[in-house]
Amino acid sequence: MESQIQQIHQQLVDKKITCTALIQERLDLLKANTNNTVNQLLEDIALNLAKKVDAKINNGDTIGLLEGIPFGIKDVYMVQGTKTTASSHLLKNYKSAYTATAIQKLLDAGAIPLVKENCDSFGHGSSSENTIFGAVKNAINPNLVGGGSSGGSAVNVAKNYTVFSIGGDTGGSIRQPAGYNNIYGLKPTYGRISRYGLMAYASSTDCVGPLAKSIEDIRIVLNTMSGKDVKDQTTYASADINTENLTNINGIKTVGYFKNFIESDAIDAQVKADFLTTLDKIKAKGIAVKALDFFESNTLVSTYYTLAMAETASNLSRLDGTNYGERVESGSLKETYAVTRSQNFSEETKRRIVGGNQVLSQGFSDKIYLKGLALRDQISSNFEKDFNTVDIILSPVTPSTPPKVGDSLKDPHAMYLSDAYTVGFSLGQLPTFTIPQGTATGLQISAAKNNDELVLKFANFLKDTI
Amino acid sequence: MSKIMTVDILSSIKGAEPSESVNKLFDVIKNAQTINNSTTNTINAVSLNDLREDVIIESSTTEKEIIKENFPNEKNGFLVVTKVIEE
Repeated sequence: MESQIQQIHQQLVDKKITCTALIQERLDLLKANTNNTVNQLLEDIALNLAKKVDAKINNGDTIGLLEGIPFGIKDVYMVQGTKTTASSHLLKNYKSAYTATAIQKLLDAGAIPLVKENCDSFGHGSSSENTIFGAVKNAINPNLVGGGSSGGSAVNVAKNYTVFSIGGDTGGSIRQPAGYNNIYGLKPTYGRISRYGLMAYASSTDCVGPLAKSIEDIRIVLNTMSGKDVKDQTTYASADINTENLTNINGIKTVGYFKNFIESDAIDAQVKADFLTTLDKIKAKGIAVKALDFFESNTLVSTYYTLAMAETASNLSRLDGTNYGERVESGSLKETYAVTRSQNFSEETKRRIVGGNQVLSQGFSDKIYLKGLALRDQISSNFEKDFNTVDIILSPVTPSTPPKVGDSLKDPHAMYLSDAYTVGFSLGQLPTFTIPQGTATGLQISAAKNNDELVLKFANFLKDTI
Repeated sequence: MSKIMTVDILSSIKGAEPSESVNKLFDVIKNAQTINNSTTNTINAVSLNDLREDVIIESSTTEKEIIKENFPNEKNGFLVVTKVIEE
């Protein structure tokens, strides 16, 4: 199978390139880039690691598959000794004291971190414009947004600055930028990869996942990062996915799609036409296609944001200039906290914290927050029922093509609604995979919980089918 | 005795106000039909049999050093942390 990781590994082993030259080349590309993808370059760390890989190769030692492979890290992951800013004013000088489990596993495998990548502040956004480092510009058309919140990660992969990048997906933050930049991006089943060391946005849907240019690279990185971790008690043990298992479509007889996604007035006519053409091609291969009923987009988006805002209000309450962030002194202590948070959080982050506290407050929690939890249960039950009749659910990633830089900030409500096709799968905690095929912003492949192998398998099938 | 707290106090953000864009989302939830309002949300619960060991894990020297760096003020060998309680 096509794999950039395998290809570079072979070049290193055959001594066609040195690791130092490879890393220097990618660092130079990142430095010169005008898409605003970089929050911090990890130049010294990367070059030191590259020298060690070269020494091993010159010594005749065997190197692992990921050894010497350059990768990027969304700037919400702790990497010991590096700044972790979450693209925010509040944490612009915060230095990580430890390393996130998922990143440590990649480091242990020998992968080389190049860059902490630009993103929406604390993951709050769908365009990577809510950042102190400048709006991330799309890899294909720099007048358009890079998508979000893992926009810097997606653009770095699309531009070949990194071989793969690690994003974070709470409501679509890996899948949507992957779609906007025509690459692969996986949100695994919730709990497959440890969240320890990922700055918490909405803990009940936060997922760690890879972005890359091939299915095989996604598989390699997913296997490396997966597994139970005592530091994140929502993790579970999972078996490695073998590449051989991805080359057939055994177990995939019926593909479902949500009727209301496609019949919605909000969907772009071309995205709709392309999606329906894809369904026809799948049918032509002898796979049954079934239309499914699902919740209205408005309900999905509102349920997701209600719960995500409640969780982020709670998670970010620790950011008050005491343990985290720089304090802005004011009259009284309470005033100091309020001014610190007011001056150092972005407008979008404040909007979400305030929204979260609204729904958690007395008088509103029953009518909104608890109702949101009940709706999430219904959404999960709906998925369980659907996966009794279909093996895969296919959907567009977004209703329309990426907006121009600047447009999303003007209309937050429109930005929330643009997440209509991604948030439901987050609430269901399902494995969902964006592939750069089928529509202008790709397709999403979802399967039942813990069935990450099936989404990769179907992606491999679609690669040769559409 | 009940005391009404405004969102700027609840959020500890000076000048914060509810947003119209966000309120539109909440209106959808208020008007949504649910099967029942009693939540059975146990999605992320951890089994009592699967709790991690309750042991102290010593931080590495590097970790301790970086934590100190994040609190740059020192007095008589102690880290100086800004005031956190007033009343």
